[in-house]
Amino acid sequence: MSAISLRDVSFAYPDAPGAALSDAQLEVFPSELLLVIGASGSGKSTLLRTVNGLVPHASGGRFGGEVTVFGRSTRTHHPRDLADVVGFVAQDPESQSVVDNVERDIAFVLENLGFGQEAMRRRVEEVLDALGIAHLRNRDPSTLSGGERQRCAIAGALAAAPTALVLDEPTSQLDPQGADDVLHALARLNTDLGTTVVLAEHRLERAAPLADRAVLVADGRVGAPADPAVLLSAYPGAPVVTQLGRALGWDPLPLTVRDARRHALAEPLDLAAPQREDALVPGDPVVRATGLGVTLGGHRALRDVDLAVREGDVVALFGRNGSGKTTLLRALAGLVTPTRGQVTVADGASVAYVPQNPGAMLFSATVRRELEETLRLLGHRDAAVVDHWLRALHLDALADRHPRSLSGGERQRVAIAAVAVGGAQVLLLDEPTRGMDAPSRAALEDAVHAHAKAGGSVVLATHDVELAARCATHAVVLGDGDIVADGDARTVLAGSLFAPQVLRVMPPFLTVREVETELARR
Amino acid sequence: MSVTRQAPAALVAADDATSAAVATGSWHAGVWLLWALAAAACVQLAPSPVYVALVIGIASMVVSIHARPGPYARAFPMLLAVGVLFAVVRMVLTVATTHGLGDVLFSTPHFGLPRLLGGFTVGGTVELPVMLQSLNEGFAIVGVMGVFGAFNSVVSHSELVESTPRAFFEIGLVVVVGLAFVPATLSAIHQVREADRARTGGRPIRKGRLLRQIVPVLELGLERAVTLAESMDSRGFARLGASTRDRVAGWWGAASLLMLAGAFVALVGQAQTVATLLGLAGAAGLCAAIVLASSGSRRIRYRPRHMRRRDWAIGLVTVLAPLAMATVSVVGDSSLVWYASPLAWPALHLLPALALVPLVVPALVPPMEAA
Repeated sequence: MSAISLRDVSFAYPDAPGAALSDAQLEVFPSELLLVIGASGSGKSTLLRTVNGLVPHASGGRFGGEVTVFGRSTRTHHPRDLADVVGFVAQDPESQSVVDNVERDIAFVLENLGFGQEAMRRRVEEVLDALGIAHLRNRDPSTLSGGERQRCAIAGALAAAPTALVLDEPTSQLDPQGADDVLHALARLNTDLGTTVVLAEHRLERAAPLADRAVLVADGRVGAPADPAVLLSAYPGAPVVTQLGRALGWDPLPLTVRDARRHALAEPLDLAAPQREDALVPGDPVVRATGLGVTLGGHRALRDVDLAVREGDVVALFGRNGSGKTTLLRALAGLVTPTRGQVTVADGASVAYVPQNPGAMLFSATVRRELEETLRLLGHRDAAVVDHWLRALHLDALADRHPRSLSGGERQRVAIAAVAVGGAQVLLLDEPTRGMDAPSRAALEDAVHAHAKAGGSVVLATHDVELAARCATHAVVLGDGDIVADGDARTVLAGSLFAPQVLRVMPPFLTVREVETELARR
Repeated sequence: MSVTRQAPAALVAADDATSAAVATGSWHAGVWLLWALAAAACVQLAPSPVYVALVIGIASMVVSIHARPGPYARAFPMLLAVGVLFAVVRMVLTVATTHGLGDVLFSTPHFGLPRLLGGFTVGGTVELPVMLQSLNEGFAIVGVMGVFGAFNSVVSHSELVESTPRAFFEIGLVVVVGLAFVPATLSAIHQVREADRARTGGRPIRKGRLLRQIVPVLELGLERAVTLAESMDSRGFARLGASTRDRVAGWWGAASLLMLAGAFVALVGQAQTVATLLGLAGAAGLCAAIVLASSGSRRIRYRPRHMRRRDWAIGLVTVLAPLAMATVSVVGDSSLVWYASPLAWPALHLLPALALVPLVVPALVPPMEAA
């Protein structure tokens, strides 16, 4: 008997012209970890929300077909009536806690279900241990990091001992460390407790090896579940090692660096060292920080930082959360005043900063108007720039959509376009790939390349080494407000413990494209 | 057999409840409520600026020792700032409309309002006693706001909800969740303002700024609200539904409120006896409805934290402050209230200052027994 079954499920949101899901069929087996993949806006979230009845009970809209969860139909059961069999965790870690205390927030579901005092005590203790958050029990969730908050949210869903957990991109707002913690916790719940897990994810390099089966959602159509490696063989957002395996014709396709290295050792390839395509001609510094120190609220966020961004540079700025990446970008953009040292911008150059949360910026009715608004504010009249940036970020097809109706990755691109259209020579992007799917990421990479080629410069604060491997010419690592590494991207990335996957499989190659170029040359 | 097993388990639970209190390391929300009421009462009883300044000083000490990390940590300075703003606006309005007490500082152009709007003169002479008296009164408001801010930054709001009768739990939770949107909105405003500046390369553009900023703030709030509602729904909130007893309690409560309204009408109509009877019946009915709804609640609270003996002791000590202050006031101390005319420095007397000492106690005494 299957744990969750969807039969002929169709759904359209109220006022939406097209269907978000059409004729979906899916059987989820007890105790399996099912991975749901697909581009943003493909219907993944809608699919997951049908499982505990949030669609259609919370969303409204037209619903057809039948979803049965452990024998209960969502037609007759509301999400609250399914809380004891399905736990649900959403993407945003910040708005899921109800009570201002971790322990009590976890107990919230138990109180709602009418558990007795003793049963509650025992369950909360067990769940705290299952997710490794016992040390956070008396904290206020709003004071925790994203990864910690997300684990608390999972604990809050798990407390009722549901037989299934449904998670909608739980790691997309987290840094790599937080994402690892969350996925490890999920894997443990699945293997040790036998909890059925339905997980939508973009970070496939971590999630794919954990999954029993995967299912692809595209344009509201749910494909047949298959082995993750098989399904990912043609998927654009596949892990980098899988793409490498695809380029080299490895079979079976690897999902982890470990598998890929076995292949690489078994079938060594005799390739010449990669040629530097983007050998950098050092231009004049456009923005330069000298002896920069910033103190925010009594905390020294930056100490004695020297950094030069040159014409045509793409700088990748690494460092864990709180290491000063955002502060450095804001200081370069002139949004915070340095307490020591200075930032100098070359004559005639301008610097623009795109903040992390695109939602904080977008307010127009269409994507095109959002870009025109910036021009209007700056008093520019050149409408051709709007088309240029719409094209550069692959937004032309979305130009007449409402920015709020777009996916996270698409919105991030709109925010970048809306800032870049102002004509700044230096673009500072704060974690631009957070929550982005593969097509959005590819579009962003193209735009960054094009901007640098045209003589502009880009600084990316990021955790994404693969993005840096593909775009960056220059890499900087920040640690506790100091620069701990600064040099050309290849050298800095190669010396890192967290090097790009291709480099760990086939040094000295950094990207799949470099390998492909050398293969073609041979 | 099962009965004998349950007894020790209940004891264990009670024991653990005390350990939870120790671990949170602060006084019970009830203590802080008593403290805030006591401090606010002291400001009312002794509104002279010196004593108000002392109360604000005590509040800031309480905050620096007991502030909880989290979104409300900055409630004290923010509410103080709101109080100051309010006092200044009030001072300007008073100075502009009150004249004829002498000691003119300077004069501004003036005009008379039409009779329909009160017929007083706006502008004209700006007089020192008016200004000082208004500032004096405004400062007492700042004091009360400071106490309220300090209360918010040290109290656990969920604990406060928990301490209300069970019938209020759901509604209290909704209020707390709603309150949590205040800090979230403040941070959204900050983000949106910065994004707006970033968009133009750091150059602030005033025109149309309100619209540009208000739409994203509202939409961020809406997104947050939707996620929260989904999370609460998925976690079974309101699943138990209303029982017959809840419905009875609801109707009973509504009828009691009607009786109270009737009492008010009777009072206006000078029917004293009817008003008294209706009022008593309404109040009693309301209490009964609350008790009925509370006893019918099937929701069992997780690790309820009760006021322990130590909490009660400290809470009652703080209440001594307004009692002492009231005694000083009845005995007759001229320094409690300060008047701007005739002009003199506000005096600080020993007895009223000593009366404020109990307010310091929750800040200085450690909440847990020394190990």
